[in-house]
Amino acid sequence: MLFKKELAFLVMLCFVVSSVSSQNKGMVLIPSGSYKPFIKGKVDEIQVDSFWIDEKSVTNAEFSTFVDANPSWSREEIKRLFADEDYLSHWATDLFNQDSFLIGNAPVVNVSWFAAKAYCEWQGKRLPMLSEWEYAASALPQGSVDSSSLQEIIANWYSRRTLSENDTVPHYKNEFGIWDMHGKIWEWVYDFNSVQSNEDSRNMEETPEGLFCGSASLNASDASDYSTFIRFAFRGSLKGHFTVRKLGFRCVKTK
Amino acid sequence: MKSFIANFEIYIALILLTGIGLLSSCVTDAEKYTVDYNKEVTGEIRATLTDAPLVPPRIEAKHNTKVIVELEIIEKTMRLADGVDYTFWTFGGKVPGKFIRVRQGDLVEFHLHNHPDNMLPHNIDLHAVTGPGGGAEASLIAPGKSAQFSFRALNQGLYVYHCATAPVGMHIANGMYGLILVEPLEGFPPVDHEFYVMQSEFYTTGRFGEKGHQDFDMQKALDERPDYVVMNGAVGASSGENAMKVKVGETVRLYMGNGGPNLVSSFHVIGEIFDKVYVEGGTLTNHDLQTTLVPAGGSAIAEFKCEVPGTLHLVDHSIFRAFNKGALAQIKVVGDENHKVFTGKEKEEVYLPEGSSIQSISSGKQTSSDEVIEEKTLEERLAAGKILYNQNCMACHMELGTGIAGTFPPLVNSDYLQALPDKGISVILNGLQGEILVNGEKFNNIMPAVSLNDDQVASILTYIHNNFDNGDGLIKAAEVKEWRNKK
Repeated sequence: MLFKKELAFLVMLCFVVSSVSSQNKGMVLIPSGSYKPFIKGKVDEIQVDSFWIDEKSVTNAEFSTFVDANPSWSREEIKRLFADEDYLSHWATDLFNQDSFLIGNAPVVNVSWFAAKAYCEWQGKRLPMLSEWEYAASALPQGSVDSSSLQEIIANWYSRRTLSENDTVPHYKNEFGIWDMHGKIWEWVYDFNSVQSNEDSRNMEETPEGLFCGSASLNASDASDYSTFIRFAFRGSLKGHFTVRKLGFRCVKTK
Repeated sequence: MKSFIANFEIYIALILLTGIGLLSSCVTDAEKYTVDYNKEVTGEIRATLTDAPLVPPRIEAKHNTKVIVELEIIEKTMRLADGVDYTFWTFGGKVPGKFIRVRQGDLVEFHLHNHPDNMLPHNIDLHAVTGPGGGAEASLIAPGKSAQFSFRALNQGLYVYHCATAPVGMHIANGMYGLILVEPLEGFPPVDHEFYVMQSEFYTTGRFGEKGHQDFDMQKALDERPDYVVMNGAVGASSGENAMKVKVGETVRLYMGNGGPNLVSSFHVIGEIFDKVYVEGGTLTNHDLQTTLVPAGGSAIAEFKCEVPGTLHLVDHSIFRAFNKGALAQIKVVGDENHKVFTGKEKEEVYLPEGSSIQSISSGKQTSSDEVIEEKTLEERLAAGKILYNQNCMACHMELGTGIAGTFPPLVNSDYLQALPDKGISVILNGLQGEILVNGEKFNNIMPAVSLNDDQVASILTYIHNNFDNGDGLIKAAEVKEWRNKK
């Protein structure tokens, strides 16, 4: 309880800091802390240092600015090594139409890991580490005291698709002050394939230590946490050049 | 010494028995056909895939061939029961997934596509595959991707396939399973009809029948307490209007699978006996079975001949699942009756354990004819009559007196009742048996005598006459008494 209060205070502090820092505009400072890892390992808690994170995932409009400035990342010129043929396939034209405000404000999807990484670096940022992303996403929706409210957002997304990736309206802000970590799109992390669900998702043998193994679930800290299972399985199905219709990203910055 | 000899003899006998056992198992093994996978297959065909209850035609080629299978994974919201929707994850757009049919020795080139609009990664584990994960490792794909792998169908049998992506239980619970048949190269003996039936469970946040979109309930799945146990993916998917249809005299082969994810099925067809069952979908055959066990992630092939017309009910004989959770499919058999096999109902009458001609329902004390009864007003009789009617008459004549066509005559505006000189008093006092004509329809049934006192009979009849349009009027207890004494 005490921790919560401190957290809330820190979050408020972050707001003040983030609003005054022009350099980190649109970003929120996540205080250092720890979370219980989904994958059982040598440690019960994973420590995460303080870092800045984008308040919202990167939008089509923002990404198009990057493409304008860096034509080698356009649909025309991108190398197949860096993105598959569906790269930015939801854009009607090669250069994204900025007048189209609605879609412009929607999160960019159909971007490869390479492209997402390049965008962040162009901004002087980087892709979040898996531990940073999981920690930042683990915070409950603001004003909520019940962890089931977060599970509900995720479960609804899986089973009803209540929110579309083309939805420009922000849905929920968490205790850290960042928007829609769950419930709208998947997001790339830098080390998406470092802890992977085995391709068979059941095989427990011959897997290096710490590697996640789906439904065998012996390595999961909570085998009934299926929403997290699915997130890890999703990451395990990716390769760096893949683009997926519901997969976007946001950037972070070391404090 | 003697005991040693005795033991020695037993020992010898054991050796002999073991030898015979070995010999017989060798014979069995020698009979089993083994695929020579070094031998190349000839030609290629594109597999025909079907949705339940249909089964694809068998591949006619005389030699083994390459069979190309294209299967698309689609996440979509569909009907689970009337008024109940669920977001299913499917192999091919329906639950259960597409039926795949190949022959032993065929080379299967498998293409799995994950639709770009899907949210989740998927893969496939075909139990017919000899290889890691049944293909699961080779087929994990993100949304918008395809995977390809090939396998040689080495073993004959009816096999389940399913998704094996974490969390596996949830992928299966959301509908990701189907059947692949590996039949002998020369095929199974011909039958008139082949059907595809697959049982599975659904775990929903709402209880059975609760309207609206239902979400997957992880806790119920962990507890193995499904709200729905269904045949072919939804309540009523293969019953009523969607029932499978055959003719009298035709033979049927059922390819029955169980997707689980948790329950084992006691598969039974009400009204038939399985002439032959390929136990657990393998090569072992058993005959003359009532119920065959179908494990989760397993199958059975059942054959029978439909000798008489009627509706066959395919159920999980863990019977509450059939009656309360949806585990029921139907085969309608049409054609002429065969009374040599089954007569139908030959006779129905009230069972008379004590030998009386018409049984009495004793629900009240019969009034002694000497007793003096206080008469009631019309309102009093109607109020009392309504309660008495509902207690004594409603079960057959129905609440509004409409009766049931062909079985229980109507009381509404009944010409039969209106023509009775005693207004129906004797019918209640003595019962009624034999053919009567009511409003032009024939009835032939038995109504037991109802043991009510004069006051009660008067109230019931007043209610029936006034409420069911048989003419107004108050019937007095004295009248009832009069008719009772006439008897």
